[in-house]
Amino acid sequence: MFEYALSVMIFLPILAGLLLLLCPVSKGAARAIGFIISVVILFIGIEIFLGFSGKSGMEYVEHHSWIPSLGVNYALGIDGISLLVLVAATFLFPMVFSVFKTKTKGFYGNLLLAQGAMIGAIAATDLILFYVFWEIMLLPIFFMIGIYGGEKRLPATLKLTIYTIAGSLLMLAALIYVGTSYHEQFGKWSFNIADLSALSLGGGFAVLAFLMFMVAFAIKIPLFPFHTWLPDGYTEAPTSATFVLSAIMAKIGVYGVIRFVIPVFEIEFTRFAVLFSLLGVAGMMYCGLAAIAQKDMKRMLAFSSASHMGIIALGVFCLNVQALAGSLFQIIAHATSTGVLFLFVGLMEERLENRDIDSLGGIAYRAPVFATFFAIAMLASVGLPGTSGFIGEFLIILGAIKFSSFIGFLAGTTLVIGVCYMLWMFQRVFFEKSKESTDSFADLTTGEILTFVPVILLIIGMGIFPQSFLEKIEPTAQQHIAQISAVSQSQVADTTVQNPGHNNHKN
Amino acid sequence: MEHSANYLGLIPLLPLTGALVIGLLHMMTCTGKPLPEKLYSTLACIGPLLSFFMALVVFFHLRDMAPEDRFLSHIAFTWFAIGDLHVDMGFLADPLSALMLIFVSFIGSLIHIYSIGYMAGDENYGKFFAYLNLFLGSMLILVLGNGPVVMFVGWEGVGLCSYLLISFYTKDTDNVLAGNKAFIVNRIGDLGFVLGMSFLFWAIGSGGFDYLSLKENTHLLTPGIGFAVCLLLFVGACGKSAQIPLYVWLPDAMAGPTPVSALIHAATMVTAGVYMVARFSFIYAHVPAAGTIVAWVGILTALLSAIFGMFQKDIKKILAYSTVSQLGYMFAGVGLAAYSAGIFHVFTHAFFKALLFLGAGSVIYALHHQQDIWKMGGLKKKMPTTYATMLIGALALAGCPPFSGFFSKDEILFSALASGHPGIWFIGVTVAGMTAYYTFRMIFLVFHGKPRDQEAYDHAHEPPPVMTVPLIILAAGAAFAGVLNLPGIFGGHMSVSHWLAPSLVEHHPHASVWVELFAMLASIAAVVVGITIAYKKFSQGAEEPVFTGFAKFGYHKFYVDEIYNAVFVQPYKAIGSLISRIFEPNVTDIHVKLSTWIYKKCGKGFKVLQVGYVRVYAIYMVIGLSLMSFFLSQSIN
Amino acid sequence: MIHDYLILSVILFCLGILGVITRRNVFTVFMSIELMLNAANLAFIVFSRVHESMDGHVLAMMVMAVAAAEAALALAVVILLHKHKGKLDTNVFSLLKG
Repeated sequence: MFEYALSVMIFLPILAGLLLLLCPVSKGAARAIGFIISVVILFIGIEIFLGFSGKSGMEYVEHHSWIPSLGVNYALGIDGISLLVLVAATFLFPMVFSVFKTKTKGFYGNLLLAQGAMIGAIAATDLILFYVFWEIMLLPIFFMIGIYGGEKRLPATLKLTIYTIAGSLLMLAALIYVGTSYHEQFGKWSFNIADLSALSLGGGFAVLAFLMFMVAFAIKIPLFPFHTWLPDGYTEAPTSATFVLSAIMAKIGVYGVIRFVIPVFEIEFTRFAVLFSLLGVAGMMYCGLAAIAQKDMKRMLAFSSASHMGIIALGVFCLNVQALAGSLFQIIAHATSTGVLFLFVGLMEERLENRDIDSLGGIAYRAPVFATFFAIAMLASVGLPGTSGFIGEFLIILGAIKFSSFIGFLAGTTLVIGVCYMLWMFQRVFFEKSKESTDSFADLTTGEILTFVPVILLIIGMGIFPQSFLEKIEPTAQQHIAQISAVSQSQVADTTVQNPGHNNHKN
Repeated sequence: MEHSANYLGLIPLLPLTGALVIGLLHMMTCTGKPLPEKLYSTLACIGPLLSFFMALVVFFHLRDMAPEDRFLSHIAFTWFAIGDLHVDMGFLADPLSALMLIFVSFIGSLIHIYSIGYMAGDENYGKFFAYLNLFLGSMLILVLGNGPVVMFVGWEGVGLCSYLLISFYTKDTDNVLAGNKAFIVNRIGDLGFVLGMSFLFWAIGSGGFDYLSLKENTHLLTPGIGFAVCLLLFVGACGKSAQIPLYVWLPDAMAGPTPVSALIHAATMVTAGVYMVARFSFIYAHVPAAGTIVAWVGILTALLSAIFGMFQKDIKKILAYSTVSQLGYMFAGVGLAAYSAGIFHVFTHAFFKALLFLGAGSVIYALHHQQDIWKMGGLKKKMPTTYATMLIGALALAGCPPFSGFFSKDEILFSALASGHPGIWFIGVTVAGMTAYYTFRMIFLVFHGKPRDQEAYDHAHEPPPVMTVPLIILAAGAAFAGVLNLPGIFGGHMSVSHWLAPSLVEHHPHASVWVELFAMLASIAAVVVGITIAYKKFSQGAEEPVFTGFAKFGYHKFYVDEIYNAVFVQPYKAIGSLISRIFEPNVTDIHVKLSTWIYKKCGKGFKVLQVGYVRVYAIYMVIGLSLMSFFLSQSIN
Repeated sequence: MIHDYLILSVILFCLGILGVITRRNVFTVFMSIELMLNAANLAFIVFSRVHESMDGHVLAMMVMAVAAAEAALALAVVILLHKHKGKLDTNVFSLLKG
């Protein structure tokens, strides 16, 4: 059965989602179906995670010809890079179904579609297949925000959709360029990423194509200054959609960079690494500073999420194995911390119909369990040791220091910036005098506690036993870094040959 | 293996388990009927007491080993390993950490017992003990960690507990703000720690990132990187141990319950910075210049906070500034490579400062949360035990022979003189005089003279034994702990220094006995002068003065908080709102705005053609068709 | 000989176009369109003669049928237009103005 595990994980939710959309089903039944499907996916995901051997190659491979004349294949596979993103995409969905009871059938259907498409994008090893899932992913999000969002949802939806589609079109163009270059160099068509990494590109066109790819992913991540769709989008989206966007979809942007950009454009990547890592750091600081001024809790978390994504992106551009592994680890750590914070805000919104920080207060006295869970997720998001957030942030900062002391120092400020806005928000919402608006706040029900306990345990467990995750990532990360450094070293060798006097001066 | 000791991991684990159990119990029941206090206090005291017991086992185990071979270690599991980086969740007990271990778990246990009485009747009784246990567990991890990263776990853990306990009475905004301030300032320090660790790793960490391996590889460290590492780590120490410029959080931290001030903000957590510098003595010894900076920052902090301490009126603030000041001494000691002197001062300070805080707690408890010393007076008769024990504590803090503070402080001042830093020595002696002055100002105003608030005085009474017994035990420690490190001049053997020697890279300055005697007499003279002035001014019931001039400046702590607020906090918020109001919608979004603008302009341009009359569209069609057929006919020919 | 017929057809077609473009009455425009159709029919018949096949005739018959159907529909539309605005001036119907 596990030969086709990935296909099942992709198409089970997609088919179920379509069925839900087409058939007349009651709201409760839709939610139940969604929950069951996502739990099934979760179990397959756990099985894949446990069965994954971590020997730096693709596992669970599926390979079928799709458009033979263009060498396009239906090719799936999982390696150390995609494993954790996949786990994040499987682990978090059941929570959405179990926590939010009030949505309609269409919403649950779209949620399932989104899950299937995301898993597809994560598992695809063929560029065209990836692109197809990448685009499908956007559709359910479009409907979820556009139909079920907040008051100003329409402008936010339009901005998000047009922005991302513009990026995707750039990627499509670059993708065609990559495909034709492969055809020119090897005389046959292929979009398989393993084949494409043999490609040696050069010249202005390669730089252009690289930048087009990067812009597409930077919009999705979102990397400063392409993040401007995010605050409105995250705020107006229904909380579960925000959760999907921040916990998983943003991660697929980072994943795309690691999976498709690094192997194909090694030279360009090394050349622009400083620029992009500066963008990552700038985004982290900029969004972190913006977060402190927010009055809406969800908007504050949106900026906080963008700020953390800056750090995760930075880890990818630092070109060493610690930072890369840190980024991959932080992908799931961030999904469990900030993602869960979004869910908590969603719960508060359902109970109080209010997200304004200043009008809240004293929730900790009404709802100690909720406050404790919130605090744990918050501490993970500010990177307290013993929680999942620390390992990732520490590895990224460590790697950034190796890359450049200056960037490393700036990256380190995330420790301070994050804690400032989080603590201030926590103080105003959970402590101080309780206000009328929060008097009726009910603590988590048993069902909700049962839903969140696994994630809270995961947050702490990942902080204490990260090695079981890291050991699966490491071989692939090593391989990636080795590939880059081999290429960049041959570049260095070329330049030293051109300037033979160079070495003598140093001695 | 000879050096492995599995039970090391249990030492921090016990209080942590206690914290988990108590925390869960409290969380589940706090909105309903609370559980009996006895249950919480029993659960809370088991962990610390067992840890103390095991600390003693560790101590005796180490004592039986050969001095140069004294260490125990336990690797619980590989925490994380990527590339060259290999971090174990491991614990190391050597003489240095064993000493810290003993006094941390001992004072921790005492304060747990004291809190049973002090916190009685509080609605968050369970929460308090959960936090206190969590703190002790983190502190023990900090002390026992076998490498910088594990130490950092405890380091941040104690910071978190400090935040939670400072803002313990969360209904008051000021308390929460004080907690936030502590956490954020500590985080600034932690930034230095993380950066320092990272540099250290890339320089010499690839052979193993624990103290023993790092110590072996120290010779690989270039002076430049070593200097940077030392300074960055010291930034971390500044944050945790409240040194210039990051000391501002500690006085505000007194917002927490008094046992917390005693345990966290006087005896244990704030000395973590000193411990860290001593722990990295092998690196600091490598770059003496960095050590000198540490020493100067320390002694200047001592001076500054002694000045502040002379003008405060809140009994806990006075003690807080005295803590900052004593921490300054410790840094002066470890900065000048007199690590054992610094650590010994940490040790004695823990006793007398915990004693003073708990004594102050008794006074506050007796006077129903009155903390203003100008509203106290004459309590000597009402609270004899508290008075006697606090007097011992005050004498020890002032550095009066033969109490413990005298020996440890004198050791630091002597090494300043002997290692050729007369400036540091001179400031140190001055601060000793000032310390004696403000300590006895407090003692005289609280216990001597006539009561200033008769009603509060009438209700005052000695607290229950569960609170006084810890005071007496601590007083015994404060009085006699100095004997443990008696210098040769008094016929002692410097036992603590010898005990610590294998863990530290230390070079003792050699100076003549006359220099030692001179240093000692000078500090005794300073202390006598300080106490005399305090006696003259305050023993006979002085009235609260109105501060003017320099005194007012000192009372307002040189307006440092206000300056920080104006220079850092307000601009930070201003930048935040500037970004979210102006930059985000207008500047950063410019490329999106620009492209929509271009689209709109283009649309307006083409709009001219859309006149709405069918016949005009027909003209376009005709023109288009004619052009098409023209070009087609061209291409055919 | 053939040329003359073709030229006549072109003239008719151009007249039709001119009518569509310049006249504002809906009926005149409609009649001009019919004129263009008939010009096309004439051309079909001519070419049918030239190639000596019946295809052109067939097409011409077809165009006539379509034109008849179109006339029926168009007249109905025109009546609706008149009902709507009370006028048959094409300038009144400018909803597509940008």
